[in-house]
Amino acid sequence: MADKKKRRRTDQNSEDEDSVGHEVIPFKKRLKPDKVILSSLKDLVETLRSNNSSAQKTLTLSDLDLSFNCREVADLNLSSVQDAIERLILRITQSILSGSGFSFDVPARGNANQLYIPELDRIVLKDKTSIRPYANVSTVRKTTITTRILQLVHQLCLKNIHVTKRDLFYTDVKLFQDQGQSDAVLDDVSCMLGCTRSSLNVVAAEKGIVVGRLIFSDNGDMIDCTKMGMGGKAIPPNIDRVGDMQSDALFILLVEKDAAYMRLAEDRFYNRFPCIIVTAKGQPDVATRLFLRKMKTELKLPVLALVDSDPYGLKILSVYGCGSKNMSYDSANLTTPDIKWLGIRPSDLDKYKIPEQCRLPMTEQDIKTGKDMLEEDFVKKNPGWVDELSLMVKTKQKAEIQALSSFGFQYLSEVYLPLKLQQEDWL
Amino acid sequence: MDTDCSGESPVEPKKRKSKTPRKAKDSVLKQKSPAEFFAENKNIAGFDNPGKCLYTTVRELVENSLDSAESISELPIIEVTIEEIGKIKFNSMIGLVDRERIDKELYDDFETAKAREKRLAKEARDQEVQAKSAALGKKVKEPSVQKSMKGRGETSYFRVTCKDNGRGMPHDDIPNMFGRVLSGTKYGLKQTRGKFGLGAKMALIWSKMSTGLPIEISSSMRGQSYTSFCRLDIDIHRNVPHIFLHEKKENTEGWHGAEIQVVIEGNWSTYRSKILHYMRQMAVITPYAQFLFKFVSDAADKNATIQFARRTNVMPPVPCETKHHPSAVDLLLIKRLIVETSKQNLLQFLQHEFVNIGKKYAERLIGEMGQDFSQKMAVKSLTSQQIVRIHQLFRQAKFDDPSGDCLSPAGEYNLRLGIIKELHPDMVATYSGSPQVFEGHPFIVEAGVSMGGKDVKQGLNIFRFANRIPLLFEQGADVVTRTALKRINWNNYKINQTQDKIGVFVSIVSTKIPFKGTGKEYIGDDISEIASAVKYSIQQCCVQLKSKIVKKIQAREQQERKRNLSKYIPNATGAIYDVLKEMARQHSSKRKHYDGEDVEILKKVSARVITEDTLQEKLAQHVEQVDYEMALDYATQSGVSEEPREDFYIQALEGANEFVDFRSPIFVFRLFQ
Repeated sequence: MADKKKRRRTDQNSEDEDSVGHEVIPFKKRLKPDKVILSSLKDLVETLRSNNSSAQKTLTLSDLDLSFNCREVADLNLSSVQDAIERLILRITQSILSGSGFSFDVPARGNANQLYIPELDRIVLKDKTSIRPYANVSTVRKTTITTRILQLVHQLCLKNIHVTKRDLFYTDVKLFQDQGQSDAVLDDVSCMLGCTRSSLNVVAAEKGIVVGRLIFSDNGDMIDCTKMGMGGKAIPPNIDRVGDMQSDALFILLVEKDAAYMRLAEDRFYNRFPCIIVTAKGQPDVATRLFLRKMKTELKLPVLALVDSDPYGLKILSVYGCGSKNMSYDSANLTTPDIKWLGIRPSDLDKYKIPEQCRLPMTEQDIKTGKDMLEEDFVKKNPGWVDELSLMVKTKQKAEIQALSSFGFQYLSEVYLPLKLQQEDWL
Repeated sequence: MDTDCSGESPVEPKKRKSKTPRKAKDSVLKQKSPAEFFAENKNIAGFDNPGKCLYTTVRELVENSLDSAESISELPIIEVTIEEIGKIKFNSMIGLVDRERIDKELYDDFETAKAREKRLAKEARDQEVQAKSAALGKKVKEPSVQKSMKGRGETSYFRVTCKDNGRGMPHDDIPNMFGRVLSGTKYGLKQTRGKFGLGAKMALIWSKMSTGLPIEISSSMRGQSYTSFCRLDIDIHRNVPHIFLHEKKENTEGWHGAEIQVVIEGNWSTYRSKILHYMRQMAVITPYAQFLFKFVSDAADKNATIQFARRTNVMPPVPCETKHHPSAVDLLLIKRLIVETSKQNLLQFLQHEFVNIGKKYAERLIGEMGQDFSQKMAVKSLTSQQIVRIHQLFRQAKFDDPSGDCLSPAGEYNLRLGIIKELHPDMVATYSGSPQVFEGHPFIVEAGVSMGGKDVKQGLNIFRFANRIPLLFEQGADVVTRTALKRINWNNYKINQTQDKIGVFVSIVSTKIPFKGTGKEYIGDDISEIASAVKYSIQQCCVQLKSKIVKKIQAREQQERKRNLSKYIPNATGAIYDVLKEMARQHSSKRKHYDGEDVEILKKVSARVITEDTLQEKLAQHVEQVDYEMALDYATQSGVSEEPREDFYIQALEGANEFVDFRSPIFVFRLFQ
């Protein structure tokens, strides 16, 4: 059925293709039967798994002989979080009673305190801290908010429940003023206590979705992601409830955008090429990053990324890969190593003859971001990425995944992706 | 010429005066006198509508008066009177009998029966609504006053009088100075307020167009025993004055200056604020002048008298006429200079008719021109081609920039004084830039930035001056507005662009102000030299202000610190106590084990020895202590607090006194003996 549809469209296109030359037709004709592509993909997974088992050990901070200390957090259970908060509160109570006010020693999370470590391929937080005293006009608000957040988290520990960041904000809107402030302090608190943010029982609202050849348990219920309809399954905010992952997929496809995700889900792309499709609809949240990492480590599948051909696409890729600066203290748990850049790459624009009207000129800001990224270590470590990004900055053109729709809405799922997989064209 | 209407029906050979300057269908070659041209295109000179005409008339007369007084280094005293003349009074003035309306339907404001019905219905509805809202105890809105008349009907007639103590005019020149468009005394290359020789003449043309009444001029020059009086209007078609009366009267008071009176159609209600703004801004930029502004009308409540007092005796020097800079001349100008020059040979011509060409340089230039040129050749014998060659060389060669000596900026002292005098700001900073050059014309940018003051809106208040006259219209596109709005990061200087009352004053003087548009109302934003000079000057003012503002913020923080620190005590202690309480409860129910010092604290919490109040008290004590220490720190750093101060001004003493002036760019210290 699918074959027939494809052929018909090829015929319709044939008259334009004559004018362009023989290059365009092969894009579809070049496609080998799915079986061939599948077998090559299977080989790939095999080699990945065997490689992994041999070089099993992933590096951690302690393995490296660094000249300075880094701050890393760990998953703590509720009672240890509670203990940590209580110790802190007792300490400041004593300090207040002795008449010397109180202050917190908060790890600095500014740009200057971040470091990219090439051996680990992720960003880590150095151990600089700043003192946040109550009796200072510039810090009094933040100190008060910190105290309040500590108390709220303590309550959560006692009651053993989860709340969202929004819930937390609404418990004292008058003090927090806007959610940005309570969110930032929440990260400070988890950093200060040395635990991950999920250990504080505070979660972000669901944002990511997953569909495809994956079965897992969420809070005890078995979920089959092939039977979730078009919308897919929302990625649960607490990763600790997720377990028992099973899959016959050959790869994980990371999609930047909702629209492309929908196309693939509706076309049931995961049935033609067994895979798991994940999207966080833009910049990924913590839950999606945790989920991806869990899939990658448990299922040992290659991760392929389909992002826009612009600096932000690559930026999103980097957040999955080596972490964001905001959450660098927890980068060990949040990053997924070895993500491959499948498309849309700047070189694809010409290779797939994406028409001029679908390409957008980059703005000044885009070009600046692109140039800045060329200086970033996570780009420099991959020479292929450097070439692609340089090409983008040079041509000053960007394109979204949707640019492929100019060849028909299903071009993405029926031609572009299969061809990419067949050629193993990723970086 | 008229053989081209082959297919068309022949145009009626009716003698028709075409309104547009374009030669229309009948293609009869006509000539237009300059006066006619300006009468038809009066918007070029800022006479767009009756309201604007009134404004521009006042403006032109005031500027002429200022120029006139400054030209003889006399401190200007200018009296402007606008007298409203009702229609009946106006008719009797021109000897027209006021007639009753007979055919009422003839008039535009006649109310037809239908319209009347509509209006009555609407009024009834309005009353109903009002009665309802009054019954509900709501505030009753004033019934909106119906606009009784339409646009043009509202205008009325005004007699504008402007009297000064300036140079006055020679008796015989008066008719030509007023009755001939494009004749003037300000055509040389120097910084002047007016430029085209249009101002007073346009007022006359407008009065002729709207009221038909002549202009009256009284004038006397220094040491003249008589006063010239002249009543004249202008023959628009021939561009010559038409004199009614031209006589000499006895001058008893020893007055010198000019008094000009013109009756025009205008609109006071819509342009009132513009005229007052103009006077106020004029007072800012010329604090050495004294203005008396009067508005007189039949309705006593509309009458107004505003005096802008003199605050200084220091006047900027009279701008001197300068020679052209070689990079600013065009072909036509070179030809004219050649015609007018008294120099014989080329070398002398180059050396003396232009600035920044010395003898050596002139020789080098002539050498560069080619073999047809020699130093001794007669300048009047140059061919057109040779002049083109000279022009080209002027464009390409490098010359020193013209100096700003010929300019007469308001001066930092006067600008500052003017701002303080008219706005009473809390803080003010001024800056005077060094002369810079745009296309061979030197210019100087001076700027002032003020904070606070009376009658100042929140946000940016921009005051623009070009050659020491205020610019009021087309603010949006002006280089000063754009710079202040877009290119200055006010936050850098601790200034809040939307909350603070900021006054930005920029005065640009030049031998040629690059105005945009026809109305001479704004300076374009496309000249990078001027834009960057404006930006730099404003920034310099801001830098001066910043340190003052920072000090002020610190002082305020001092006052508010304790309050800010205390504000959060209940929040913080509440949270801490809450956790302690939970812990104490767990401890007493033995659900959780604590040890050491912690037990002591928890026991005290359970026994209510430590309560939220205890924590609050302790924290408040700490805040108090910290506050005290910081206040002490601040006091030692900033010195003893200053005495309360009060502004006071010393009036200039009457009569001649023996004194010595100590001058500096920002103040004058006068020692009386």
